[in-house]
Amino acid sequence: MSSTPLLEVRNLRIEFSTRRGTLVAVDDISLSIAPGEVLGVVGESGAGKSLTGAAIIGLLEPPGRIAAGEVKLNGLRIDNLPYDEMRKVRGREIGAIFQDPLTSLNPLYTVGQQLVETITTHLHVSMAEARRRAIDLLLSTGIPAAERRIDHYPHQFSGGMRQRVVIALALAAEPKLVIADEPTTALDVSIQAQIITLLKRLCRDKKTAVMLITHDMGVIAETADRVAVMYAGRIAEIGPVADVIHRPQHPYTVGLMGSIPTFGHETERLVQIEGSMPRLTAIPSGCAYHPRCPKTFDLCVRHRPDLMPAGTSQAACWLHDPDASRTKGKDSKYFDGDASLIDQYNTVLPVDKVADEARKKSVKYFDGDATQIDQYRTVIRPEDE
Amino acid sequence: MSAVLKSTPAAASRDDVIVKATDIAKYFDVSPPLLNRVLERKPRVLLHAVDGVSFEIKRGETLALVGESGCGKSTVARLLVGLYRPTRGEIDFFGHDLREMNTASGRTLRQKLQMIFQDPYASLNPRWRVADIIAEPLKTHGLLQDRRAIESRVDELLTQVRLGPADKDKYPHQFSGGQRQRISIARALATHPEFLVCDEPTSALDVSVQAQVLNLMKDLQRDLGLTYLFISHNLAVVHHISDRVGVMYLGKLVELASKRTIFSAPRHPYTRMLLDAIPDLEMSGRARTPVAGEVPNPLNPPGGCTFHPRCPHANDRCKHEVPVFRLVKNGETQVACHAVEEGRI
Repeated sequence: MSSTPLLEVRNLRIEFSTRRGTLVAVDDISLSIAPGEVLGVVGESGAGKSLTGAAIIGLLEPPGRIAAGEVKLNGLRIDNLPYDEMRKVRGREIGAIFQDPLTSLNPLYTVGQQLVETITTHLHVSMAEARRRAIDLLLSTGIPAAERRIDHYPHQFSGGMRQRVVIALALAAEPKLVIADEPTTALDVSIQAQIITLLKRLCRDKKTAVMLITHDMGVIAETADRVAVMYAGRIAEIGPVADVIHRPQHPYTVGLMGSIPTFGHETERLVQIEGSMPRLTAIPSGCAYHPRCPKTFDLCVRHRPDLMPAGTSQAACWLHDPDASRTKGKDSKYFDGDASLIDQYNTVLPVDKVADEARKKSVKYFDGDATQIDQYRTVIRPEDE
Repeated sequence: MSAVLKSTPAAASRDDVIVKATDIAKYFDVSPPLLNRVLERKPRVLLHAVDGVSFEIKRGETLALVGESGCGKSTVARLLVGLYRPTRGEIDFFGHDLREMNTASGRTLRQKLQMIFQDPYASLNPRWRVADIIAEPLKTHGLLQDRRAIESRVDELLTQVRLGPADKDKYPHQFSGGQRQRISIARALATHPEFLVCDEPTSALDVSVQAQVLNLMKDLQRDLGLTYLFISHNLAVVHHISDRVGVMYLGKLVELASKRTIFSAPRHPYTRMLLDAIPDLEMSGRARTPVAGEVPNPLNPPGGCTFHPRCPHANDRCKHEVPVFRLVKNGETQVACHAVEEGRI
C-alpha cells in the first residue's frame, strides 16, 4: 500500500484469563486498511475474526483483553484510550454493524430518536438539522417513505429494513471506517444481495473504509478489495481478493475454497478438510494447521510460520519460505489421515466459538412451529475448560 | 420391511416412486385467545404454512426443497415424517397412507422413515451417552434384544459415519458440531431406513465441516441406496447434493425440475431471482437484477399469485388469479406462473 493506512493493527494479541490459565484467542495479528478500502476477514467459527473487530472498536468483553500490540487509527493509538475518549471515537470515527439487526437497535426508542441521538452526539448540529439528516440517511439506505418511517419503532420494520436502519445508524456520523461483523448472515439470500449492494454503494459514495467480517466467501468475493483468511487466531493468508480466491497459497485456504459448493462445475465430492478448528486450550505446536494439513513436514510441527510473500499474497506457511534450505524436508512427511491426531485438538468448543454459536442461535427464524422456539432459546454454556 | 412391500403390488409396479405427496396443506391456528376473540371481536387467524403442495420422490434420488425462511419447507419435512398431521391432502409412502403410521402395523413403515434435524446441539440429549442415543431407535423398534448385538450394531453405525467405536462412551458435548451431526445421522440410520428427511442438516455448520457432512451423506446414499428429501436455503449446497429441486414460496411450490434444468434454465421469476441473488464466487462480474421487496407476511399473503408484488412480469391476471402448478413445454419443469404459461417470459 502506497497511501498511509487509515487503520493499522500491529501484533494484536487477545487473551482470556480463565481458571485454568490464559487462552490466546487472537495471536499476534497485523493488518492495515487503506482509506476507502474494503478488507474482508473470513474464517470459520472460533477463528478470532469477530474478536479482532471487537478489539478494534474497544468492545472486547471481559475477561477478554488486549494483551499485546496496538491499534492505530490515522496514526494515533486508540487501543489504550480511556473509556470516555473511546466513546468519541466509536460512532464518530469507526461505525459498527452487527449481525443481528434486532439486538443492535433499542426497542424502546423510535429509529428516528436513535439516529438523531447518534448525530447530535458526534456532530454539532441542531435537532432539526439532525432529523433532516436522519431522514436523508434512511432514504439513502432505501427505506421508502422515510419521513413517516422515522417515527416507527424497530419492531415495526422487517429484518431487511432493520438492517438498513442499522447501516444508516453506523454511517450517521460519517465515520471513516465501518466494522461490519456478519452483516448479512441473519438475512435471507434475496435480502442479503440487497444489503451487500447497498453497503457497497454507500461506502463507495462516502469513501468509507470497511472491515467486513464474515464466514461467507461469496460475500467477500462480491464486496472486498483484499481479504484476510483467519485460522485459530492467526492470519493464514492475506492478499487481493481475486488472488486469494482463485490462486490460494496457504493449504488451509486451498481446502476452504474447495469445500465450498459452487455452481461453476459439477463435482462429485467436495474437498474435505479432516477434523475441525483446534480448541483454544490445545492449539497445536508450530503451525496451528499442521495436524489437518496435507502438506505438513517437520518444520511445521516445530516452528510457527509468520506471514511471508507468496505470489501476490502473503501466507503464513513454510511452503513459501524463501530460505529453501530450511524447507528441504518438506516432502518428507505427508499427513496420512491419522484421525486420532486431529481429534485431540477439537473435541471441545473453543471459548469464542461459544459466543459465535450463541449469537447464531438467537437469530434463527421462526418457521411456523411453536415447539422449535424453545429449542432455539437453549443457551450454550461455555464448556468447562 | 418386506411385509410392507409385499402388501402393495401397486407400489411395486410403479416401483420408482416411494413417496408421493398430493395437495398437502398445513394450517396453524395462530388466533388470539378465545376471550380476546369474544371481547375484542378479533377473528380466527390461520397461518397457511403449507398450502397445496404435490410432489413425488423416486427411489434413490434426492429431492431438495429450497426457499427463504417462512416458505414452509420445514413444515413439509415435518409433515412427511408424521410430526404434523396434514390439514388437507395425502401422503403416500410405499403405497401406504402415512396416517397408518400410528397404527401397530405402521411400525415397519416408521422404521423406513427417519429424520436428520438442523441443529446438532439441540437434537441430541446432552445427558445420554452416544451409545444410548444411537441404540434408542433399535430398542424402541425392538429390532435387537441382545445387549452385545446392540453394541456391535452401534459400533458398526459409528464406523459408517466415520467416527470410531471408542466414541460411544462419550457425551454429545465432547464433540464438535460436525461430529454431532454425524451422530444424529448414525441414529437415523440405525433402523435401516430407506428414506431420510434432512431438514437443513448443514446450515449450523462451518463450511469445511459442511463439506465433510455433505460428502458423507453422498457416500451413504450410494452405499445404502438411500432416498433423501433435503431441505435447505442454500442453493449452492442444493446444487451439490440434489437430483431434483423444488422451489417454495409462501407455502407453495412455484417450480419443480431436475437440478440441471432448474439451474441452467430456471422458469419462474422467483427462481431466477434466487439464483441471481447468490454471491458470485467466480467473480464473473455478471450484472444482477436488483430485486426489490421482501417475503410478505404469511398471515396476510397477497392475492392471486403470491409473488406478484415482487415480480417484474406481473400483470392484472397475476393479481387476481392463482396460477396452477403444471408442466411446461419442455416436458420436465413444473411451474406455477401465468407469465410462463402465456409465453410472456
